[in-house]
This record gives sequence, structure tokens and C-alpha cells, in this order.
Amino acid sequence: MKGFEDLQQLWHRQTPEPNVSFDTILKRIKESKSELAKKLFWQSVIVAAAIIVLLSVWVAVSFSTWTTYLALALTMGCICYFFVNQLADYRRISSSHSLLSKPQEYIAYLQAFKQKRNRFNTRNYMAYEIVLAVAFGLYAVEMYFSVPFWAFITFLLVVVCWFLICHFVFMKQYIKQENARIQEMIDNLGRINKQFHES
Amino acid sequence: MSNQRILFQQLFDDNSKRVYHLCYGYTGDSDAANDLMQETFIKVWQHLDTFRNQSQLSTWIYRIAVNTCLSYLRTAKRRATDELNDHIIENHTEEPSEKQEQVALLYQSIAQLEENERIIITMVLDEIPYPEIAEISGISEGNLRVKIHRIKHKLTEIYNRNERV
Repeated sequence: MKGFEDLQQLWHRQTPEPNVSFDTILKRIKESKSELAKKLFWQSVIVAAAIIVLLSVWVAVSFSTWTTYLALALTMGCICYFFVNQLADYRRISSSHSLLSKPQEYIAYLQAFKQKRNRFNTRNYMAYEIVLAVAFGLYAVEMYFSVPFWAFITFLLVVVCWFLICHFVFMKQYIKQENARIQEMIDNLGRINKQFHES
Repeated sequence: MSNQRILFQQLFDDNSKRVYHLCYGYTGDSDAANDLMQETFIKVWQHLDTFRNQSQLSTWIYRIAVNTCLSYLRTAKRRATDELNDHIIENHTEEPSEKQEQVALLYQSIAQLEENERIIITMVLDEIPYPEIAEISGISEGNLRVKIHRIKHKLTEIYNRNERV
């Protein structure tokens, strides 16, 4: 039968010690900086390439209807909006001083941040889906005038089926998983937050 | 060597062991504790220029370590604490000594406490002064003393129960 003082003595005689050296930490600091920079760089390259491709199509191909140009503009708008939001998040995380706040304030910050990301990842994807569907619809006007009727119907069927699969299978599954994951996280954070407030 | 790097090395040498204990007490797993300790010191480096001398540097580092531990919950699905602590014992290549087993049992008992209790008791065991613990955990000193009394009793009870098993 031990008392707390015995446990304290045991604690001071313990051997578990960190096996991470100072140099390892410095190496990780350098790596984490370059990892983020690399990630941002490749995201920027992909977005820039997509925009360049769409702009080249805009300039090189002479479309017969204005609706196609509107479809291209909507698609470019979607890509830019997504990228700007990602960048803003990176900046917000890196400049945030919430880590230095009291634990209960930090947990509240984490909850709010996670909820915001969840909204972005679920509701906004729904908005992208709608905008892209509109863009394809507008492009269908061009197709109607420039390709044989059977090709137009095939294009329409493929696009509609693809959107239905995306919406009812992939999106539903993704949103369900995301919501369950975030709810578990929020519940856990809420439980910890309560522990710090309780007397 | 730059001044910032010298200061950082000093901070690492003075605090790494106690930060590791805090992370180990919180997670009950040495690998996770090493990861969290690394993450803590990376954040310390990143925020070093924001330190405003409102508190001691060690308090400031502890605050970062506590918040890093708390955010660990959101990224890692924790395995059952018993399973983790069996792992601690199994990981020793040699036959564990009685002392090692007792320390493992102590960590196992800490892991059975609630998250905030694990954080507070680890600091108490490391003999951090109460006003500093109050500042780190954002709890008033009066409230903290009551909590510590309760946690000490709870931990001792859990440890003795585990020892009997």
C-alpha cells in the first residue's frame, strides 16, 4: 500500500527519458518549413496550370456561344476561390497565437477552427458541385449547336450520370464521414474543455 | 551560432525532460511522448520571438506543451490505455526490474485519470510550484489546490488497485 509521497519518490527515480536530440529538433524545424513551402508550391503550380489551360482554351478556340465563355469563367472562378481559401487558412494557422492561450481558450479555438474547416469541406463542395453543373450546362448549349444530336445526348447523359454518382455516392459518403469525424473531435474537445472549467 | 539558437538550445536542455514527462503522462506511450515533445519544441522555436516576459520561459514552454498534448487528441485515435502500457512493459528487451515495473504501473495509473488531471498531476510530480501550474493550466490557485488534493487521492487509489491486480 503506497501513499502519494511514495509515488512521488518513484517518479523521481524513473528512467524514461526523451530519445530526441537537440539536432533532431533543429532538423525537423528545417524540414517542416520546407514541407509546407513545397506543399504550397505544388498547389500553386497545379492551380496555375489549370488556369493557363483554361485561358489557352479561351483564347485558342473560337466558341460560337457566349455561354461557353461563361462556363470557362465559372470554372476558373471555382479553382481560384478554392486556392485562395487554402492559402488564407495556411496564413491563419501560421500567424495564430492561440497556442499560447489558456488551455480552455485553445480548445475553444480548435473547436471553432475545426467546425469552420468542416463547413468549408462539406457545404462549399456542394456549392462547387452546383457551379460546375451550371458550367457544364452552359457548355451543353455550345455542344447542341456544334455536334450531332446523338453526340450531344451522349455527352449530356455521361455528365448527368457523373454528377449523380458524385452527389449521391461520393459526396454523401464523404460528408457523412467528415461529419462523424468532426463530431467525435468536437465532443472530445468539449469534454476536455469542461474538465478545465469544472471546480 | 546565432543568439536565438543558443537560447533555444538552453531552453531545450533545461526543459526537455520535464516536457517529455508531461507528454508521457498524457499519452502513456513513449513514442507518442517523443513526437509530442518534438512538436512542442518546434512550436517553441516558431513562437520564440513572441515571448513577452509576462511569465517565466519555462511556464510559457509548459503552456505550449499542454496545448500540444490537448490537440493530440484530435489527430490521434488513442488506443486503450491498458494496451498502451502493456506495450511499455513489453518494449523492454531485458527482463524489467521491479522499479521499471512500478514506474510503468505509475504511468498506467496516470493514464486512467481524466486529461486535465493527467496534465496537472504530472506537473505536481515534477514539483512545479503551484502558482506556475495555475498559470499554465489557466485555473485559479484556490481551485487548483482543491483539484490537486482530489487528484493525488485518486491517483494513489488507482495505483494501489492496479498493484493488487
